[in-house]
Amino acid sequence: MGSEETTKRATKGTTSRLTGSDGADSAAPDTRPASTYALELNNVEAFYGTFRAVAGVSLKIAPKSVTAFIGPSGCGKSTLLRVLNRMHETLPGTSVKGETLLDGVDLYGPKVDPVRARRLVGMVFQKPNPFPTMSIYENVISGLRLAGVRSKSELEGVAETSLRKAALWDEVKDKLHQPGTSLSGGQQQRLCIARTIAVKPEIVLMDEPCSALDPVATLKVEELVRELAVDYTIVIVTHNMQQASRVSNTTAFFSMNEQRAGYLVEMDATNKIFTNPKEQLTSDYVAGRFG
Amino acid sequence: MTTARTHEMLESGSSRDSRRRVWDRFMRYTALAATIAAIAPLIALIYFVTTRAIPWLDAALFVNNPLDKPSGISNAIFGSLQLTTAAIIAVAPIGILAAIYLNEYASQRLVSWSELVIDVMLGVPSIVVGMFAFMVIVPQLGVSAGSGVVAIGILMLPIVIRTTQEVLRLVPASVREASLALGVPVWKTVTFVVCRTAFSGILTAVILAYSRGLGETAPLLLTVRGTFAQNWFDFGTTMNAMPLTIYSYSGAADSRTIGQAWAAALILMVMALALNIIVRARTVNSRVA
Repeated sequence: MGSEETTKRATKGTTSRLTGSDGADSAAPDTRPASTYALELNNVEAFYGTFRAVAGVSLKIAPKSVTAFIGPSGCGKSTLLRVLNRMHETLPGTSVKGETLLDGVDLYGPKVDPVRARRLVGMVFQKPNPFPTMSIYENVISGLRLAGVRSKSELEGVAETSLRKAALWDEVKDKLHQPGTSLSGGQQQRLCIARTIAVKPEIVLMDEPCSALDPVATLKVEELVRELAVDYTIVIVTHNMQQASRVSNTTAFFSMNEQRAGYLVEMDATNKIFTNPKEQLTSDYVAGRFG
Repeated sequence: MTTARTHEMLESGSSRDSRRRVWDRFMRYTALAATIAAIAPLIALIYFVTTRAIPWLDAALFVNNPLDKPSGISNAIFGSLQLTTAAIIAVAPIGILAAIYLNEYASQRLVSWSELVIDVMLGVPSIVVGMFAFMVIVPQLGVSAGSGVVAIGILMLPIVIRTTQEVLRLVPASVREASLALGVPVWKTVTFVVCRTAFSGILTAVILAYSRGLGETAPLLLTVRGTFAQNWFDFGTTMNAMPLTIYSYSGAADSRTIGQAWAAALILMVMALALNIIVRARTVNSRVA
């Protein structure tokens, strides 16, 4: 059927978006089998200097799903998340080992420019961080504009679709040229989500996106996360287990070993993790017995 | 606590209580006296300069040169503006880029070392810079406005670097992260996101340096020396400047010349004050995020 063909083309798209070769200059067409996973991690380790913050994580993430990373503080969830869009390496002295496959393409391959990786794998941060000197509109289109898109009609179109997808359009359509920082915390976070999806990523990473928000704003963002999963693969780090159970299809539970390195305890369908996990450690954590 | 103890603690005034109150008052009024002593000379200075200068403020002062009849200090006013403006144009881009490099790219080690050097440069007395310019630059460029520009520039550079660095440090890391995570290259993040966020502060740094350069005297005495003629944009020859006019006119015998020294002092003070007020207003309004 056509679906296999589509996935194959998608893979090829990812390869060229990652490496910058647009197919024309690569002699042979990409005939590699399409990956059935949006992300595949094999024995990934992340370091700060010599300190190993993430130890040997292997996991697979299905496309257009929501995966929650849960676990106690310091277990490396956020670090691992930052490995997935090559933001980890922006801090001095950091390094990554292992294989991180995005649609089957190694994100850390020699031909991959981190700038391209970050366009494919967007990120929403813990604290809403709109650009302080930019308006709402400028914030949404900042990624595209800084990537060199000049066409006003294209930018305006993308701004509207992104704000609509981020469920913010109706609230801001009459004040697009007011500063992004004039919005409430919850609106700012949705603005950041709009800004992230405006550059058309495949994957959206969210690092505790609701921890700075009030319950109502949290609920809105959670609703949004589920809606976004129709178009994007979402990985969300959260401290809030109810949130993980509300928004995610799959949950990965991390913990810390004796060397304080984070490792994956288990990963399974969310309802299984919360009702009938395989590991005792997981069931202790989700029952609130530690962490 | 018993009621008896509460009564004793609260209501039985002792001599110690009144002694404490005396000391309280003593400290308070001593500090007030010190504050008045600190402010008084400043007020006196502003008062003297203003009252002595005002009678001499007329149109001729601003449009005529010293040898014209009636005489003025136009060459000094516009000389100062030319010297300081040329210096800031030369120094601001270098200083801003250096600050960007130190804040956004350099290793911590390099940052510590260069900060040490910049602090030393900030502390170098301007007469030392003047002497350096006299010994090293004047033999190349002659006694000229050009040499003066170099000397003033050397004094301005560390101010631009240091202030820009402080301003860039105020840009939250989350702003850089947000930009990088959008797939924006580092250079564009620095130029269009970090510098844009800090733009107002960077401008403030430049104004601050300009205001400092405007009043520098010692390096000009050794490099430009002054002239009675008006010099427009010829940096190869000598030029006049307000600090030089103040210096040479203060010791004059006739009241008109002395009066013009006061007038030059007032104009210089007002310019510096205005720039400082602009800086203050900007720093209040430009809190980042």
